[in-house]
Amino acid sequence: MIAFQNVSKFYENQTVLKNITFTVRKGEMAFLTGPSGAGKSTLLKLMYLAEWPDEGDIVIGDHHLQSLRMPEIPMLRRNIGVVFQDFKLINNLTVFGNVALALRIRGVSEKEIKNLVSEALKKVHLRHLSDSHPRSLSGGEQQRVVIARAIVAEPVVILADEPTGNLDPNTSADIIRLFEEINLQGTTILIATHNRELFRNTGRRVLKLDGGNLVAEEVG
Amino acid sequence: MSLSYSFKSAFQSLCREKWINILSIFTVASSLLIITLTAFFLYNIEIISNHLPERFSIVAYLKDNLSQEETQTIIDALKKRGEIVNLKYISKEDAINELQQALKDTSYILEGLSENPLSSSIEIRLKKDFVTSSSARQISEEIKKISGIDDVYYGEKIAEAIYLLKKSIQNISIIIFLTISTGVVFVTYSTVKILFYRRKEEIEIIKLLGATKGFIRMPFLIEGSAIGFFGGVLGIIGALLFYFAITYRLSMVIPMLKTLVFPLEILVLLPVTGILLGIIGSVIALGRLRL
Repeated sequence: MIAFQNVSKFYENQTVLKNITFTVRKGEMAFLTGPSGAGKSTLLKLMYLAEWPDEGDIVIGDHHLQSLRMPEIPMLRRNIGVVFQDFKLINNLTVFGNVALALRIRGVSEKEIKNLVSEALKKVHLRHLSDSHPRSLSGGEQQRVVIARAIVAEPVVILADEPTGNLDPNTSADIIRLFEEINLQGTTILIATHNRELFRNTGRRVLKLDGGNLVAEEVG
Repeated sequence: MSLSYSFKSAFQSLCREKWINILSIFTVASSLLIITLTAFFLYNIEIISNHLPERFSIVAYLKDNLSQEETQTIIDALKKRGEIVNLKYISKEDAINELQQALKDTSYILEGLSENPLSSSIEIRLKKDFVTSSSARQISEEIKKISGIDDVYYGEKIAEAIYLLKKSIQNISIIIFLTISTGVVFVTYSTVKILFYRRKEEIEIIKLLGATKGFIRMPFLIEGSAIGFFGGVLGIIGALLFYFAITYRLSMVIPMLKTLVFPLEILVLLPVTGILLGIIGSVIALGRLRL
């Protein structure tokens, strides 16, 4: 579950997010949309504490971010799988190494890592590229690696920031289908995108941001 | 925390950034070699200076005409003192004989004497720790107060010199060790700082995946200690080459050098010191990590 309660974020004198209140239920897949600069990325960053809210409270699963202490931040992040627009893959690690990193951080045994990574790569149809390096992959393939890394440790929530921003329409549709499959297994997913085609006719809830305000909530 | 990952990551970084690491290892090795050579020379000077107190003695001259019992009472009183290692009674006759032997060919100058002008004496040797100018003076003054003792002589200048020599050796060792150690810490600090900045992007990703500070720090600490360790090992190799060069080659010209001793403790101490200084440098370089 994701819950925002009167959350605001300021940069110097500028209001980036103003009094944002919304909830994404456990197991729900929702979209966050709005024009560039609307505050979508900032809103996602507040959830995994790459940025700190200036006002209000955010709840992610069992974590109340307002009362979270510094040593608890890694635990919060381990409950969230993040899919970044710019992938954030480590180039000197293989596809396997990149996905396994999420598990190594959690102290999972090497034997278990082998099985879990293999399973995650199978889900994103990339098992055959396990030994490749990110630079040798296409944009769509790299995005799938990022998704595999986000789901491998079975997080409570998956946040995706413009996951199809660099991809062609067909690959974008594949990625969304992949999220649908992951969501079917009960994972809460919030996807930030400015591309309306992604959520058109999906029947999913869409939260609209504009100028740092949550202006509308509709069904796609 | 996955230690195997930390070791693997540190090893990969050591190989990937080999030139900066090799440069650091050689710099650390040179610094540790200077420490080793200093320790080597000071160790040998210490061995020599440790023998000097054995040659230092206080001589207590006895009054004339003391009975055997009175002399024995003085000897017993001295033996009770904790600062004394051993003492030797020298009678008037022994003293004149020793003097005659010392004068050898010129002993005829004693022939005109109608009686033995020398006094009986007790030669006192002190424990090493008491061979200082102040201790020797205090002990001498206390001995002088014993009934039956006429006068006390001790080599104040010798005691002072021995004490100063030992103290200087200790001080020089500390200054050299601290100066070079600071240098080693600075080298590992700079190296780890550079490596950290080169991997900043990777670290940011690891942070977002939920890594703890320990997980992020560990590979750098391992890398810093590895630089220190390999620097220490190279330092030992350099020191051993130096030692064999002077004992086997130079000793042909200067035979005294053959008596130099190589402190074997250095074989363990140098890599351990390298590791510790490497870790200190790395810890300072990483500073307070923000998650």
